[in-house]
Amino acid sequence: MRFTTLDGLRRWLDKLAEEVDLVAPTDVDGHVLYRPVQSADAILFDYERPELSAKDFLFPATEVLLRIEQKGKDVAIEEVLPDRKQVLFGIRPCDAHGLAVIDALFLEQDPPDRYYRHHRERTVLVGMACLQMWEGCFCTSMGGGPMDTTHLDVLIRPSEGGYFLQPVTPKGVAILEGLPVEEPKGEPPSVKEYNEPVPVVPPEKWRPLFNDRIWMRHGERCLSCRICTYVCPTCRCFDVTDRVVDVQPGLTRIERIRVWDACTSPNYRRVAGGHNPRPTKPDRLRNRFYCKFCYYPEDFGPLGCVGCGRCIVACPVDVDITEVMQDVAKQT
Amino acid sequence: MQINEPLTQQIREHAHRLLDGGEVECVIGYEIGPRGRARPAFVYGPTEVDRLIWGADCVHNLTTYLHDKKKPRKRGEEPPRVAVVVKPCDSRTLNILLAERQIARERVVAIGVACEGVVGKDGQPAAKCSRCTDRTPVVYDVLVGEPPEIPPVEDDWSDLARIEEMSPAERLSFWLREFDRCIRCYACRQVCPGCYCTTCMFERDDGLWVDAAIDVPQKHVFHLGRALHLAGRCVECDECERVCPMDLPLSLLNRLLVREVEALYGHRAGREETLTPLVFELGPEGSPI
Ligand code: SF4
Ligand code: SF4
Ligand code: SF4
Ligand code: SF4
Ligand code: SF4
Repeated sequence: MRFTTLDGLRRWLDKLAEEVDLVAPTDVDGHVLYRPVQSADAILFDYERPELSAKDFLFPATEVLLRIEQKGKDVAIEEVLPDRKQVLFGIRPCDAHGLAVIDALFLEQDPPDRYYRHHRERTVLVGMACLQMWEGCFCTSMGGGPMDTTHLDVLIRPSEGGYFLQPVTPKGVAILEGLPVEEPKGEPPSVKEYNEPVPVVPPEKWRPLFNDRIWMRHGERCLSCRICTYVCPTCRCFDVTDRVVDVQPGLTRIERIRVWDACTSPNYRRVAGGHNPRPTKPDRLRNRFYCKFCYYPEDFGPLGCVGCGRCIVACPVDVDITEVMQDVAKQT
Repeated sequence: MQINEPLTQQIREHAHRLLDGGEVECVIGYEIGPRGRARPAFVYGPTEVDRLIWGADCVHNLTTYLHDKKKPRKRGEEPPRVAVVVKPCDSRTLNILLAERQIARERVVAIGVACEGVVGKDGQPAAKCSRCTDRTPVVYDVLVGEPPEIPPVEDDWSDLARIEEMSPAERLSFWLREFDRCIRCYACRQVCPGCYCTTCMFERDDGLWVDAAIDVPQKHVFHLGRALHLAGRCVECDECERVCPMDLPLSLLNRLLVREVEALYGHRAGREETLTPLVFELGPEGSPI
C-alpha cells in the first residue's frame, strides 16, 4: 500500500499524460464521463459513478478495423491497431469487473478478438474505490464490491488526507513507479453503508420462465432504445460494416468499421427478407435479461451483469433490472 | 412523489368501467415503480386498476404506445381497442395520429386529464407547462379533473433566444458540441409518437445519407434530419429531450421549426386533425420555402 496526497497524484498523472493515452473521469457539460485527458487539470477526483462504463476504451463505440485503398485493380488493406500504452484512471471496480465479463467472450474463446485483445494488452486499469454505493448499485450481489480489487491493476482509496494506492498486479506495480510517495496519514477508509442485496437466480432456473408474463409486464413500457446496453459495462454486441470515405478518379478509400449494436433495438434481430423473430418490445427486453443471467453464463461462464446500476438510473421508463431479478426469484 | 388522490380515483373508476364492460382490452396509464418513480403502466383487467395513479410526475406522453396496438393480436382479428390517459399536450398527438391514419378514432378511448402541470427531470415545473395554453385536452372521450384557473399565456419563444443571439458559426459549434455528447441511443426517436417509420432512414443497413458509426457527422445528420421529419408534426411534448441520457436540448431544434411552420402556414401541430402543411400543401407559387 502506498500513500500520496492529491498534489502527488496530480503530478504523477501529469507525467503519465505525456507518456501514455490517459483516460479519466471528467465533467462534460455537467455529465460525469470518461474521456481522454491531456493533464490532471481535466480530471475529476471526487465524483459519482460515471454515467457510461469504461468499455468504450477497449471496445470502442466506433472502431476502424481496416483501411482499404483501391487503385484500379490494386487493393491495399491496412489493419488499424493503435500501439500506445493506455491508462484508464479512476474507473470504478464494476468497470473492471465488466471487462472481465467481456474477456470471457473476446479473450478466452478461440480465436480471441484481435482488436479487443490488443486494447486489453496495451491498457492498465487504475481503479478508484467507491466510498459509498450509488443509486441503483448492487455490485455486492454480483460478486463485486465498492472496494473490490479483483479485476484491477491498481486500486486507489481516497481518504481524508490523501490517497492509498494498492498495486494488485505486476502491471500495477510498474505504473506506480513514478508516484511521489509520502508517509500515510490516517487509515484507509471503508464503506459505511451497503445497498440492499438482490437475489440472483441461477441460469437453469430461468429457462422455464421464458413464457412467463413477467416479460410482458416489464417489457411493454420499454422504448426499445439502446440506452441500457450502451451504458452497460458488459454489453458487447457489435455490427461490422464497410463505408466509402473518399472517391476520386481511379481511387476509392473504404473503411471497415465495427460499431456497437444493441439487442434491445428493433433492427437487431431482423433477417434477410425482413422477418424479425423478436418482433415486440417484451421479446427484445427479455433477451437482454436472458443474455445476462442465462445464455452468457451457460455459454461463456460469467454472469452478464456486474450490478453497476447504470441501466436502472438511465432508463427513461423505469425498467429496473433489480425488480426483474426479484420477480424472477419469486417465480422460482 | 405526490399523488393526486381525487384524479387518481377518477382514473381508476373510468378504467374499471371500461375494462369491466369489455369496452377496451387495455388501459394505458401511469403507476409508481418500487423506487418511487412514475412510469407507464398497462392494465388489462378490472382487478388491476388500483395500480393506476395520477400526479405531477406523470410526464410521459403515453400516446407513443398506441403504435404497439395497431396490429391485431391474431391474424384476421380487428386491432385491440385501448384506452389511454392523455394530458393536454399528449392529446395533440392523437390529432396527428388520426390525421396520419395511424389510429382509428373508434379504437381509442382517450381519458383526458385537466392538467395542472407536470415536473421535469430536475423536479421543477416542466418547460412545456410554463408555455401551455391548453390545460384541457384537445381530444378526449372522458375528462377527469377541473381545468385549473390560470392566466392565459402567450408563447414568447424566449427559450429560443439563447440560440438566436448566436452567429451562424457559433450556432454550428454549439450544436456540434451537443451532438458530440449524443451516444446515438435513439431513445429520442423511440419515444417520439411522430417517429414511427418501420425502418428509420437513419438506421438503414444501406443508408445513403448516414452510416452506422457513432460519430459527430452521423449524429449531425440524424438530428437535423429527424427535426425536419417532425416539422409541422411535433407537438412539443418534449419527450425526446426528457429521455435523452445526455441532456441534448432537442426542444430547441424542434421549436425553431414549430415557429417557422406557424409563421408560414398558421399551423400548430395537433391543434386540429390536419396533416402537416409542410409537405402536403403547395400554393399557386409552390411551397413557400
Ligand atoms: S429498458 Fe429502458 S433503457 Fe433499455 S431499451 Fe428499454 S427503455 Fe431503453
Ligand atoms: S445490466 Fe445494468 S446493472 Fe448490470 S452491469 Fe449492465 S448496466 Fe450495470
Ligand atoms: S427520423 Fe424520420 S425516418 Fe426516422 S423514424 Fe423519425 S420520421 Fe421516420
Ligand atoms: S419530436 Fe420530441 S417534442 Fe416533438 S413530438 Fe416527438 S418526442 Fe414530442
Ligand atoms: S436520446 Fe440523446 S443521446 Fe440518445 S440519440 Fe437522442 S440525442 Fe442522442
